[in-house]
Formats: sequence, C-alpha cells, structure tokens
Amino acid sequence: MDERIKAALTEIVGPEGFTEALIDLVSYATDASEHSHRPLCAVWPTTTEQVAALVGLANAEKIPLIPRGAGTGLSGMAVPHQGGIVVDLARMNKIIEISIEDRVAVVEPGVVYATLEKALAPHGFVFPPDPASGKAATLGGNLATNAGGVKGAKYGTTKDYVLGLTVVLGDGQVMKTGTRAIKSSSGYDLTHLFVGSEGTLGIVTEIILKIAPKPPQSATATAIFDDLADAGRAVTQIMSSGIIPSVLEILGRETIQAINQNTELNLPEVDAMLLAETDGYTQAECEFQINKVIEVFRNNHAREVKRATDPDQVAELWKARKSCYPVLARLRPNFALEDITVPMSQVAAMLKGVQEIAARHNVQIATFGHAGDGNLHPQILYDAHDRDEKERVEAAAGDLFKLAISLGGTLTGEHGIGLSKAAYMTLEHDPVAMASMRAIKRLFDPNNILNPGKMALDA
Amino acid sequence: MEAKYDFTRKFQDQIIKCSRCGFCQAVCPVFGATLRPAYNARGKMLLLKEVLEGRLELNQEMVETLFQCTTCGSCAHNCPSGVNVPEIIKAVRRDMVNIGTCHPAFTGMNDVLAQYGNIYAEEELPDFDHQRKEKAPVAFFVGCVGLYREDEATLATLALLDHLKVDYTLIEEVCCSGVLEDVGYSINPDLAKKNIETILATGAKTLITGCPYCYRTFHFKEQYKPLRDSGIDIVHASQFFKDQDFGVTTDKVVTYHDPCDLGRHTGIYDEPRATIKKVAPNFVELASNRANSLCCGAGGGARGAYPANSLAMARRRLEEVEASGAQVLLTECNSCVHNLANAKLRRQKFRVMTTAQFISELLEDA
Repeated sequence: MDERIKAALTEIVGPEGFTEALIDLVSYATDASEHSHRPLCAVWPTTTEQVAALVGLANAEKIPLIPRGAGTGLSGMAVPHQGGIVVDLARMNKIIEISIEDRVAVVEPGVVYATLEKALAPHGFVFPPDPASGKAATLGGNLATNAGGVKGAKYGTTKDYVLGLTVVLGDGQVMKTGTRAIKSSSGYDLTHLFVGSEGTLGIVTEIILKIAPKPPQSATATAIFDDLADAGRAVTQIMSSGIIPSVLEILGRETIQAINQNTELNLPEVDAMLLAETDGYTQAECEFQINKVIEVFRNNHAREVKRATDPDQVAELWKARKSCYPVLARLRPNFALEDITVPMSQVAAMLKGVQEIAARHNVQIATFGHAGDGNLHPQILYDAHDRDEKERVEAAAGDLFKLAISLGGTLTGEHGIGLSKAAYMTLEHDPVAMASMRAIKRLFDPNNILNPGKMALDA
Repeated sequence: MEAKYDFTRKFQDQIIKCSRCGFCQAVCPVFGATLRPAYNARGKMLLLKEVLEGRLELNQEMVETLFQCTTCGSCAHNCPSGVNVPEIIKAVRRDMVNIGTCHPAFTGMNDVLAQYGNIYAEEELPDFDHQRKEKAPVAFFVGCVGLYREDEATLATLALLDHLKVDYTLIEEVCCSGVLEDVGYSINPDLAKKNIETILATGAKTLITGCPYCYRTFHFKEQYKPLRDSGIDIVHASQFFKDQDFGVTTDKVVTYHDPCDLGRHTGIYDEPRATIKKVAPNFVELASNRANSLCCGAGGGARGAYPANSLAMARRRLEEVEASGAQVLLTECNSCVHNLANAKLRRQKFRVMTTAQFISELLEDA
C-alpha cells in the first residue's frame, strides 16, 4: 500500500496497532456471512482520539473505513468489499463504569457481550438483548446491528437499552449524544440514529447502556407439533393471551434433526417444536405464566407438552438453540441465514409461506427463530458450486423478503442489511424514506468513507 | 487433480464445514491473549480454505498463525460446526515441515532427538537417586519435561510412590517424539519401539507416567499398540494416586487447573479432583474448568515458538486463580506447572505446584 498513508496510520496507532500482514487481511476479509473481500490493511485503535485521527485521515484521503467488532455478523456489514482500512475495535474493550444506582453501564465498543454479562451478574443485573453469538460478539457490533436475541419479545432489542454515545463522525469530529438519565425528551434523538446504522454514520467509541434487574426464577416448557401451522397459531395466541414469555422459540424439522446430530438431547423429529420460558421473581409467578402457555399449546393440537425442570437439561436446550445456525451449516457447504420479522398475527402465514417458497424453488430451507417477536430465521442451505442451485436460492430469498413485506413485516429483525439485503432496501422503504436515509448519511459522512456500499445508501 | 498438500486430503470436508460463526473466538486462548482474529481458529480456517481453493500457497507468512496454536482443543470442543481444528493444524504443520516452512524453533528437532534421545539436547538421563531395577511390578515413565525441566515435581511424585511403598522402577526411557507430532513431525517408530521393549522388559503389570502427553501417546498412538496389547495397565499418576490414602489433610484453599492433555484430550477430570479433595477439602473450582478449562499457553509448541504470547495466555489463567481466592494452584502436567509458575506475578501470592508436590510437602510437615 501507499507508504505515505501507511506511515500516517502508524503514526496514529503505533506500529503495533497497524497490520498489512497476509494472515490479517485474510481474517478481516469476511464476517459470518458468505461475502468476502480483503482490506488494504487493518488498525487496532485503543482511544477515541486515535479513532478520530484515523477517520480524519481517511476522510482527507478518501479511503473507506470499515469498523469491526467480533466479525460475527451475518449480513456482510463488516466485510470490506471495496477494500479500505478495517478498524478493529476489539482492543477498546474496557467496561468504564457499572452504576447499579443509576442503572447504567458505560462501555467501550470492543467489550464482549458475555464479559458485560459476567460483570453484571454479581449485582443481579443484566443487559437483556442477548444474541446467540453473545459469547464472542462485541457490544459495538450489537449496537451497529441493533442486535436482538431470544429475549426480544419481552425485553426488546439493543435499541431499547442505549442511552447515549460518544461517536466519531465521518469528518473526524467527536460528538456526544444522549444522557445517562433513564429518560430524555431533549432535542432530536441522535443516539438512536446510530443504533443499527451499521457503521455508516460514525464510529462509536463509548456507549452508555441501560441495564435491567434479572428476574431470578424461571420455568421452561416445550411442545411438539405435527403441523407447522398449528405451532404458528399457538405462537400468535400465546402472545395475545396476556402472558409475555421471556423466551418463545420455534424449531423446524431440519433444525431439530441437526441439533440431534450435535447433542444428546434426542429431540422428537417432528414438524415443529416450541420452546417457552417464563420468568419472574417467585416460582409461583413463573408457574402461573407457563401454565397459560401450556394451555395454549394444548388448544393448538400439540402432540406432546413437556416441562423441563432439570437445570442442566434446560441449559443444554438453550445452548442447542443458540448453536442452531452453525449446526445447520454442517448439512450443506453454504447457507444464507435470513431474519425476516412479521407482525405476531402473521407468524403462521409466514411459516407456511417459507415451506411453499422452498417447494417452489426446490431449495432446502430450515427454519427456527424467535417466534415470540415474529422474528424467523429461515436458513437456506445450498452448494454455491452448483450455479443453478445458487440462482434458485437467490430467487427463494427474494420471495421470502417479498412475502415478509407483504405481511406487514421487515427484511431484518436483528441482523441488519449489510451487503446481503442491500438490494432489497427499496422493497421495504419508500423513495422518500430512502432519500431521507441518504441525506442523513451525507450529513454525517459527506465523503462516504464510513462502511461504504452497505444498506444501499450510496445510490 | 491430486491434492497438493496432505492436509487437504484428510481435512478438506472439515475446513469447508467451518461456518465462520466465530464462536471459537470466545474460547481460543491465543485470541484471548492477543485479540488478533488471525490467530483465532476461524482465522486459521479462513487461511486454509484459501489454500484449499488454490488461491494461496502455504508459505512463510502463515507460520505466524499456523504455528501459534496450543492445540488445546477448546475451539473443537465448542465448535457447533464440528471442526476439529487441532488435528487440522497438526496436519498442516506436517505439510509445512515437509516443504521447509516450519517455525525456526522446531527445525532440526529430528536430529536433536536422534542424537540425544530427548528434545532438550540433554546429555545425561537423570536417575533421581533411584536405581533402575531389572524387574518390578510397576514401571514409572517420567517424560521429558519431568526429566529435564521440572525435576522437583518428579522427585515429589517418586517420594509419594516411596511413601506408599510401591515397588517400582524408573526405566531407560527415551523421547519417542510423540509430542513433536504437534509441531509437524512424526513419532519415531524406532524410539517408540525402544520404549516399549524397555517397559515390557521390567515385567511390570502397571505403567505409571507423570506426563499427560505421554499418557495420551501410550493410549492412542498406533506405534504403542504393542504396549497396549501386552495387557499392561497404563495409568497417569493422578489415576494411581486417587485410590491411595496419604493420611494428611490441610485447610488451605486449593484449586485445580485441568491440563488440556489430561482433560479435553483424554477425559480425566474426576480422578485428580478426588485426590485433591481428600487432602484439601477446601477445594474451589476456577471460573473455567473441566472441558471448558482455559489453556495454560504452553502446548502445541507455543512456549518454544512464541514465549511472550505463551506467558500472556498463562497470565489469563492465573487471573482466574486470583479471582478464585485459592492459596494453592494444583495441576497434573509438568508443562502446565512450568509455564504457570513462570508467568506468576509477584503480587500473586498463591503457589503453583503439582498435586504430588503438594501432598509430598504435607507429608514432610506432618
């Protein structure tokens, strides 16, 4: 690369904070998606000042900057598909403050979700939106994707817990947004413009998060269904029954089979399985809720309903659920994992639609997801070497998106748009909304250096 | 087309199966100490995938990551896609040694072994003041680290055997280079054969080893099949001590580090704990333990090739010890003891030793 720029970068982050080694370029070429492209180089900043200087330099030189957390994202948003400089924020990993009194945690973006979880546990507190990748994923990445997780239906997603930010804008200016007060009506809500912005508006270097007390008790039940549509109807009825389970997950047949291959759980290999957890402060409270859930299961032709009471078994069940997509990935060489989300009343229709789309395009689609918030994860399994199959997969994905939108849903519930769904942005967002997003992008990043090409904002 | 490298033949399917989820980043000790994704298991698999697809050749630049893996196996244990990274790494290293792109720390290891019969180029086989007997019901195999680097640990183990009045003998052992399989070499069948003959010549019914890696080698390597077929009972010292009564106890707070070779690789978790809990009932577990145990950073050639990062890995493990409040950290592997003791900071007041050393001290004080 250009020696002058290399020298300038090294000046900012020090020689130990810069790399253009082949091994790093290869490892920074991808995230957990199918996209891949090597960057020019990568840097490991450790302070806001360094990030500001990096952005200033990149802005002056018009070189793309691609912020990166743990690279566990599923839509290619951390892939440097136009080259440029990867800004790996993993070394900005300090938990700056935990204030139980104020109910906030102040963190740097490179803090791993599980690290914060561990630090909060002794206080009986938690940062609720826990993505399946939480043991590796960083909070900066969670913020950039507006990550969700299994607790979404009851506890919301990342956006519900971000109070304020320190962020470096596309011209290198540092801006503070929000507050550490639990609520605020002051001015435009700049903070939430950055949540889910996929690193296209600024590089966040400090995050003020709201934390929540963790209800100490829980109850878990599972139900199996011979018909996916029954399971879908059960989900809708549970969510309108007045009870909000802390978790309500659905597993389709292929997913159950893949889990059985990877664990000793010996789940029944049926059309659909629902996993529900209720939580509360007393066991009686949890029981009351889970019994309501079980009643709905029964009313919707569940073939079998089981209470999971052994804590080890429950832990194993959730671990299996969180490993769904990589376990499914074993079945075929390639996969596309979607995260379409529909209104609660449309879960059954969407599940049925997924099956129809799979049949129509002759592709294998495994389904699982956070049924409780209408967020489904159809995972299309294929072999990219088979060009015909690859084309059918692309057509099927397009149909999935169209169906979700036609049901009043969204392209993505928690993974973000990135590269994978950029082409479908206009399906969901009208021309005025697209123009507004692009105007906001230009405002914060006039030279389009921050993660360019993502979210279809360049056009 | 014939595969260019041997590893591709055996592990192509596994490398392709890596779904790039990055979950290994949570448990990889090298990543944990360096925060550099290229060193993580996923980073290695991405590189090998490019080699597999013919877009890259194995080269000197890759030594930096491909030789920087302790083969601790925590990635494989946690991999939802079922990729056995340590086995892949070992195979790749063999290819790299074959084409002459080995890490310099390991070049010429075969020659050293052939000349000295051990990996440290030591001239003399120590006898620990124990005369080697021609015949004995129990044979004791020390292993290289115990012979030449952690002799105090070995002396303690022998002292316990003496205390228990076990009729055993040391043997004229050699290193068969089993451990060098981790860094791209192959076990030396002649040296393995020599060990087998020497062991069997004692007429022993039980072979005890103080080295978890040697234990693994004896139990799982093809070259030691004749030893297993002889019917001799091959045990690690921790398994032997589990059923013994030492008649001493202490109220010290004690914790245990699972060596990868004894734990994840061979599944021996309970025996060492049983022995320890008998003498030290105030036993506490470390934050990561058993199959999820964090590696000490010594294995897979990491200590020899990348000493700074190896110590950084050990320090992360020692932070867990500090947090546990234990006064003593026990383990069953001389290599782990060596690295953890070297990495210990002055402010960390706990002691690091093998279980045998600990019990042996208690016996001396009794």
